[in-house]
Amino acid sequence: MAAGKKLTKEEELLLQDFSRNVTTKSSALFYGNAFIVSAIPIWLYWRIHQMDLFQSAVVFGVMTLVCTWLIAFAYKNVKFVLKHKVALQREDAVSREVMKKLSDADSKKMSRKEKDERILWKKNEVADYEATTFSIFYNNALFLFLVIVASFFILRSLNPTVNYVLSVGLAGGLLALFSTGSQ
Amino acid sequence: MLLTRSLPGQAFPHEMRILTAVAIFGLVCLAGSADDNVARLLAAKHVQNQYLVEGRDLTVTYSIYNVGTSAALSVQLTDEGFPESDFKVKHGMPTVNWARIAPGTNVTHSIVLTPLKSGKFNFTAAELSYVPSEGTQPQIGYTSGPGEGGIMPERDYDRKFSPHILDWAAFAVMTLPSIGIPLMLWYSSNRKYRISSKAKKH
Repeated sequence: MAAGKKLTKEEELLLQDFSRNVTTKSSALFYGNAFIVSAIPIWLYWRIHQMDLFQSAVVFGVMTLVCTWLIAFAYKNVKFVLKHKVALQREDAVSREVMKKLSDADSKKMSRKEKDERILWKKNEVADYEATTFSIFYNNALFLFLVIVASFFILRSLNPTVNYVLSVGLAGGLLALFSTGSQ
Repeated sequence: MLLTRSLPGQAFPHEMRILTAVAIFGLVCLAGSADDNVARLLAAKHVQNQYLVEGRDLTVTYSIYNVGTSAALSVQLTDEGFPESDFKVKHGMPTVNWARIAPGTNVTHSIVLTPLKSGKFNFTAAELSYVPSEGTQPQIGYTSGPGEGGIMPERDYDRKFSPHILDWAAFAVMTLPSIGIPLMLWYSSNRKYRISSKAKKH
């Protein structure tokens, strides 16, 4: 790209689709989900490990926020990696669907470039949707699994507060680490 | 076991000989008294629970054996080792009487208490008084003392042993949407496009 040359609208869209940055809507979805999942272990520590909600409010609050950030980070990374894979796999199916939807008259009117753009746009949409939902599912399940294994098996004998901080921190940390590993 | 009340003696080195003589005399008396027609009671106090937990039943059993040759009369067992500030009596009496305990037999007595506080507690011996044979002075003895035991706070006991089925069920209900909803959304989209791409290949 020559210096000073402005990007076309299509190019900007394409860049946005394949960049690591996520839209505000997607970001809100990630942080909202991450917050809910990182707050769930509080129930286990309150009811089963018998920690006091009010006395440990600061620890619960801090660790929930740290985990929210770590999980949202993992969501973004996993989504980014998956999106490319899904986009490649769905290419044929999506183009078939787009072509089917266009009526014969529309199809004749449209240029090949326009059709390709529609397919590309739809492919991105499908890949984005699948990658987002799978990333949320995978990271949520892995986080909760790691928290349960750490708190009820590995760190069972520790004091509940130490157990909470370590198992939640460890699960969030591992999640973030795993998400960067597959790049 | 029953320790009949005896004079506590303090041993000093220069009195060792006198003490030895007294001990031998005592043994001879004991051997001689085995043939006497008197009751001899052995008593034990046991705490039956494996875990002592604040607010949960605690069972204490007293077993009294008459190993003498005569019946023990007016037997009274008194346990003052459970102060009201620390324990609530749930069933049974801390003081119990038996008119007689025949030779070669045993009796047991149990009480159920509820510990009100957690922490260390010293389970001391209960007092036993009985008349060894008719016309003699009542004799006082003590049961064995179970010793110091730790009373666990109810919260710790729950943490260790409660299955928390309801809590786990609530946890499952909480986690299900956060795992189930994204999985369902992904699966429906994945199935839709995978099937159509397979259909094309065939």
